[in-house]
Amino acid sequence: MKYVKWTFWALLALIVGGFLHYTLPQHDIVRVVNTYQERQDLGDWTRIFWSDPDDQSSTLTNRDVQFISTIRANGKPMVYRNEDTGWNWPPYFKFDTASLQTEADDLKSSPESPKWAVITHYGWRNQLFSIFPNAVGIKPVAGPDVRIIPWVNIFLLVVLLIIVLTVRAIWRQFRERSIDPLVEDVGEAWDEVEERADAAGDRARGVWGRFMDWLRTWSGKPRK
Amino acid sequence: MIGFLRLAILGAVGAAVAYWVLLIYSRSLRREALEKEWDADPPVGATPEGRDLFIEEGMAEYERSLRRKLIWLVLVLPAVVVGVLIYLVNYA
Repeated sequence: MKYVKWTFWALLALIVGGFLHYTLPQHDIVRVVNTYQERQDLGDWTRIFWSDPDDQSSTLTNRDVQFISTIRANGKPMVYRNEDTGWNWPPYFKFDTASLQTEADDLKSSPESPKWAVITHYGWRNQLFSIFPNAVGIKPVAGPDVRIIPWVNIFLLVVLLIIVLTVRAIWRQFRERSIDPLVEDVGEAWDEVEERADAAGDRARGVWGRFMDWLRTWSGKPRK
Repeated sequence: MIGFLRLAILGAVGAAVAYWVLLIYSRSLRREALEKEWDADPPVGATPEGRDLFIEEGMAEYERSLRRKLIWLVLVLPAVVVGVLIYLVNYA
């Protein structure tokens, strides 16, 4: 039973943690090397990782997607997709894909004279499934070693914690004020039923006992 | 456009549910505090009717209070946040 419980909590932590890791914004320090646009097939299960920038895009089987290819500060390549999130999940309300592509174009640089930039993005890169993080913003920075404090994530996680604690407090108040009194009433009602049943049992034994006594009078034994 | 309508309608429903739940929760907290205030130090010759009257008066006062009015923020803030986000992500 202990293992079932631990497995349940581990799975829950994994799902919630994975969801937050995918959805919350992250920052990479990169050097843009190229931007391009490529036709993407959207027919398989990896569809969930592409956006629905406008209403008809959810029914298309393929469409053009813009990409930003970069080299990160650690020298490894990273490719971002650049898609509107529109009014859909996750709630970034990004509508400026074309402008972002232009800004990225403007920051293109060579290894000899690098222009470093910080890309804000959400999502995961996975070569095996061909999924890409979605770039949300790009901003030039002084160098590859600048320190970025994730204020948005700190703020959002604190707000999330406050919401969870509030829901817990609401549930406790509801239980204390609405459910517990009911349970007490039921408990009291049940005690009453038991008392009545005991009393009825006593009465029944009384009648039965008197009947048996009467029967015994036939055998000449005296009534008790 | 459909996406905007879906967000607006789902958001309005979600905010309305949150508003309603917080309304009941906050009222329940105030009533409990009033009950405890009376029970901790009941006046001499206190009757159950006096207790009910004290609580009802306190609740009427609560309904006019700032705390009760602040719960409206649950309906207003999400729309403001969406507006600020659209500005920051696309225009700033």
